[in-house]
Amino acid sequence: MSFITWQYLLFLPLVLVLYWQLPGRGRLVLLLVASYFFYACWDVRFLALVLATTIIDYLCALSIDGKKTGTVWVLLLALLPGVWLSGCSLFLPASGINWLIVAAAVAMGLAFFTGHELIWRLAPEKRRRAYLILSICFCLSILGFFKYFGFFLDSAHNLLTFMGLQPNRVLLQIILPVGISFYTFQSLGYVIDVYRGQSPACASLLTFATYDAFFPQMVSGPIERGRHLIPQLERTQVFSPDYLQDGICLILVGFFKKVFVADNCAILANYAFAPGTPLNGYWAVLGVMAFAFQIYGDFSGYTDIARGSAKLLGIDLAENFRFPYFSRNPSEFWGRWHISLSTWFRDYLYIPLGGNRGAKWETIRNLGVTMLLAGLWHGANWVFVLWGAYHGVLLILYRVAPALRFLGDEKSSSLGRGILAVALMWILTLAGWAIFRSANVHQLGLWLAALGHWQAGISLPWASSALWLLIHIAPLLLLQILTWKYRDETSLGHLPWPARGLIYTLMLLLIVSSTEHDTEFIYFQF
Amino acid sequence: MRITKWLPPAFLLAVLLLVLGEMGARLFFAKSVSGRFEYGYSLNAGFDECPDGTVKLIRAGGRRFHPQSFKKHRPPGTFRVFVIGDSVPRGPSFKGGYPWLLGQELRERDIQAESVNMALPGYGAQRCQVVLRKALEFEPSLIILHVNDSNKYEDEREYRRSQEFKSWHPRNWPMKVFIFRRLYEAKMEKVFWRLVPEQVRLKFAVNDPDAQVAASENASEVRDRIKVARETTAASVALAQAHHVPLLLVTQCRLLTDGTRSFHFEDHGLDDLGRSLTGQGVYHLSMKEVFSPLPHARSYFSDSGHLKRSGHLLLAQAIIGKIRQAHQHLGLTAFNIELQSKSY
Repeated sequence: MSFITWQYLLFLPLVLVLYWQLPGRGRLVLLLVASYFFYACWDVRFLALVLATTIIDYLCALSIDGKKTGTVWVLLLALLPGVWLSGCSLFLPASGINWLIVAAAVAMGLAFFTGHELIWRLAPEKRRRAYLILSICFCLSILGFFKYFGFFLDSAHNLLTFMGLQPNRVLLQIILPVGISFYTFQSLGYVIDVYRGQSPACASLLTFATYDAFFPQMVSGPIERGRHLIPQLERTQVFSPDYLQDGICLILVGFFKKVFVADNCAILANYAFAPGTPLNGYWAVLGVMAFAFQIYGDFSGYTDIARGSAKLLGIDLAENFRFPYFSRNPSEFWGRWHISLSTWFRDYLYIPLGGNRGAKWETIRNLGVTMLLAGLWHGANWVFVLWGAYHGVLLILYRVAPALRFLGDEKSSSLGRGILAVALMWILTLAGWAIFRSANVHQLGLWLAALGHWQAGISLPWASSALWLLIHIAPLLLLQILTWKYRDETSLGHLPWPARGLIYTLMLLLIVSSTEHDTEFIYFQF
Repeated sequence: MRITKWLPPAFLLAVLLLVLGEMGARLFFAKSVSGRFEYGYSLNAGFDECPDGTVKLIRAGGRRFHPQSFKKHRPPGTFRVFVIGDSVPRGPSFKGGYPWLLGQELRERDIQAESVNMALPGYGAQRCQVVLRKALEFEPSLIILHVNDSNKYEDEREYRRSQEFKSWHPRNWPMKVFIFRRLYEAKMEKVFWRLVPEQVRLKFAVNDPDAQVAASENASEVRDRIKVARETTAASVALAQAHHVPLLLVTQCRLLTDGTRSFHFEDHGLDDLGRSLTGQGVYHLSMKEVFSPLPHARSYFSDSGHLKRSGHLLLAQAIIGKIRQAHQHLGLTAFNIELQSKSY
């Protein structure tokens, strides 16, 4: 179920009404059922993966924390994904689940069970580490198989073909489960936090399962930390009208960003990056600018709707965007763009690799590795790897080149230098988006080649389309100017109420003026 | 105090503004929105009947008429022609379409004529029949029904939409608010259509054109379309006959090329249909018969179905020929000699 469907606009109020009527544990049960229903609306089969991730990380975290779970209970839980798939196979024949898939799920459950029981026999410190490795291996195997297996198989095939060999092509039609990167990383982050002693293991399976599958943020983030979300789930909330106001305001801003900004910018971006579109320099620039605002509006809009939906339940989700296009250097950009992911990579990869504590070349290596993997996280395509590498290079350049470091200095109070730094970073970000949006390296080459051709006849007239783009980004920029001072993109509370009333009205009108096409959120594919 | 805690003044103001806006829209824009969500199946959409007896054709309610006006009651001695059809008779421009050229040709022959272009792009036989039903209210001397078979897909799709919109389905709820509808239309028609090039829009709305192309090429779809066009056109003929209004059926042909200089015309059986329907007060003109004898027929077409201005002129003159043949039945007591072809 997507946030921008009428189903969600019915689903959310229904959940809210029930949620605030139920007592403490009942609310958690409701949230878990609602979350699984929300996810099953896409594909009921892949709930097995959510269950598997939840069970693996729940049990491993408990064991890391030194709490033994009963053997029978572990066995039953380990077999639960297989049971779910058996149910799908029996009651939903159209789901295409055959007994081979069920057997694989059961075998995986048994393998986990065996590993889990054997590891418990190790010495406590070794055991903690082994459970962490067990969790990481299982979760990344699931992610790797469903997200990257076909990609690496294809790449290997292409490489062998390029080398003059004639390998047999193995064709596997693997469907990418929605949100798999998000919930896998969230769950892994929790286990690592428990291992580091930064977070206690959650004793309640109900609470942990709800944390892992919490519907507002499950499929596209923010990637929540256990120590932030789990205590909120465990606390019995008392309804406050402020939740209603703040939640509705966030949802409104989110819809505005998604429906008005992103979907309208997508018209130009989709055209400019469609295969076979004749591009000149104007359309190349226009297309990538449109995409920059599309992806920002799309993803930050999703986050705002997620935060608003959670707020209505009395739960605060992490901030994920903070004026990213006003960054002065790449490091600041990653502190403002998809914050929950960049901090995840910082805390669980970059710092464990050594961060910037070692020699300069080690910092460069760590940055490079982190950004390559961050790029790959976005999808199984070489352009994402290239995009990650590009941002890695930018981060390194801003560290090693004195002129860039001087220009991008966040502490500088010079307005002129600040504007220049933001402008340069904006151009560099656009170049990155061109890599990101291209379907493949060949298309990226075409986009780059278009920058060398500025004749009007090659492509369609661009001026009116540029005006269309401007019409759709101007209100967003105005909103950002209004909220800039308060460091929160959605914070309108400081404005006098008549101004807020006008802004709410205007946003609502702009949203309904753009309801022609239903477009999916970009980040669902990740 | 308790109310403002639950509904703060900013929300109340937003609601108030929307309520005021809704009332304003209902007062000031009712005309242009009426029928919009019947997707061409509204009888009155686009026909603005003024108190002074003038009927204005306006771009409203999803009907993008060329703006024109005429008196509701036909002035004495006026030969009033209404042309109903799709994008072909609508023409490359108002003065480039055969309805306008026909009016000019008739006036050149000292006939006090008014020729009104009621053609609408994408309109198939079913929606043309709705327009015909309305047109019969305005005392036409002759109705020209341009018969084509390529818009059945659009007719069906729009019918489905019109039915969906009447349903209780929640996805249609926001657009039932008048101010939202008005704003949405204004943006689509005045901003989107004007600013974003057609190629971009088509690429964006990839589903409809794709389905359209697929439907236009599928053999069983073509057979089905002809069947529906035949039945609906027959019903339209019966309707005109019941109102004692003469009807000229202009049957569309399609120019087919094989990629070289050779070409031929295909009528999908529409000519047979037109001939079979002729009878009391019903005449037929085949586009294929008009264009196929011409050595440079291809030069009159801008694509496989649409005509250039020169093609429209030729068709207008062919219609004049038909009118001349039937002038006594049409109430034209005198008909001047044929004029030489010329361009306007």
